[in-house]
Amino acid sequence: MSEAEIIEQLKSGSEPAFKQLVENYQKLVVNTCFGMVHNKHDAEDIAQDVFIEVYRSVRKFRADAKLSTWLYRIAVNRSLNFIRDNKKRKWFQSFEDSVETKTKALQNLAATKSDQPGFQLENQQRAVLLHEAISALPKNQKVAFTLSKYEDLSYSEIAEVMDLSVSSVESLLHRAKKNLQKKLYRCYKKKCL
Amino acid sequence: MNCKTLHKELIFFLEGDLPLEKREQLEAHLNECPDCAAFAADIKKTLQVTENEKSTEVNPFFYTRVKAKLENNETQHIAAFENVFLRKVLQPVLFSILLIIGVYSGIKIGQPAPVNVFSSTQFDQETVPYLNEMETESIETFLME
Ligand SMILES: [Zn+2]
Repeated sequence: MSEAEIIEQLKSGSEPAFKQLVENYQKLVVNTCFGMVHNKHDAEDIAQDVFIEVYRSVRKFRADAKLSTWLYRIAVNRSLNFIRDNKKRKWFQSFEDSVETKTKALQNLAATKSDQPGFQLENQQRAVLLHEAISALPKNQKVAFTLSKYEDLSYSEIAEVMDLSVSSVESLLHRAKKNLQKKLYRCYKKKCL
Repeated sequence: MNCKTLHKELIFFLEGDLPLEKREQLEAHLNECPDCAAFAADIKKTLQVTENEKSTEVNPFFYTRVKAKLENNETQHIAAFENVFLRKVLQPVLFSILLIIGVYSGIKIGQPAPVNVFSSTQFDQETVPYLNEMETESIETFLME
């Protein structure tokens, strides 16, 4: 089934078409959500809602638009809403403190499971550090960085999803990387891992 | 190139965003500066995280869960409708009825109790002049005394 056929049949409520759509785009949507929220369970949960939204509003979908662009947009918006509703970081907690608390928790977890190889703990701690650094980015930088790193989208593809010019995307990614580097350097200096 | 410049450019170097000339300058510095080399190795490992996290396998139960959620959502929609009906229609009606009962009983309670004629006239003679005096006296003079 081609993309156009899936959409056409989906508009008439076909269940096999919906199944096909989910199967074809599940990875794309889950990955995007994961890049935004950094938790597998939450990402799958949001992704499920993305497909439900697609199913419900497919009649509004314009035939000339790209399906993947539409999916990216819904995935990004739903993830942003999720982040807004789940802001757990306390305003008085600094980035380093937050990383430290979480990596300490991982260390304690690893200590109870002594069979866990040290290499995996280090990777998990690095993941915490990077996730915290990405989460601390301003909204648009976070979206651009996620689409670039987790979905390998080109500047022009990101521009289409975010409805921005290519040069704006370039500048967003540049600033995002600068911000990440600053955070990672500070952490490296303080040895917060 | 010094360490400070390298720190500014390192992430762009690791991400492959730099032109060849810049790249070579950074590489040259990394080869002769162990501090920067150590930092570069560290940040490289951290940035690698996203590569390892890209999901390669799909959750086989994903579609089943979407289906279940969709059906569940539809029944929730009906429940939500009932909820709205309760909140937007039944609740106001109930409040209006309570309000009317309240106002009506208020009026009833406010009305003088029907007591027997004899004691009622006696009561009037004693209190009415006094109340009238209060009424003719303006509030200002009352306060100034
Ligand atoms: Zn150096």
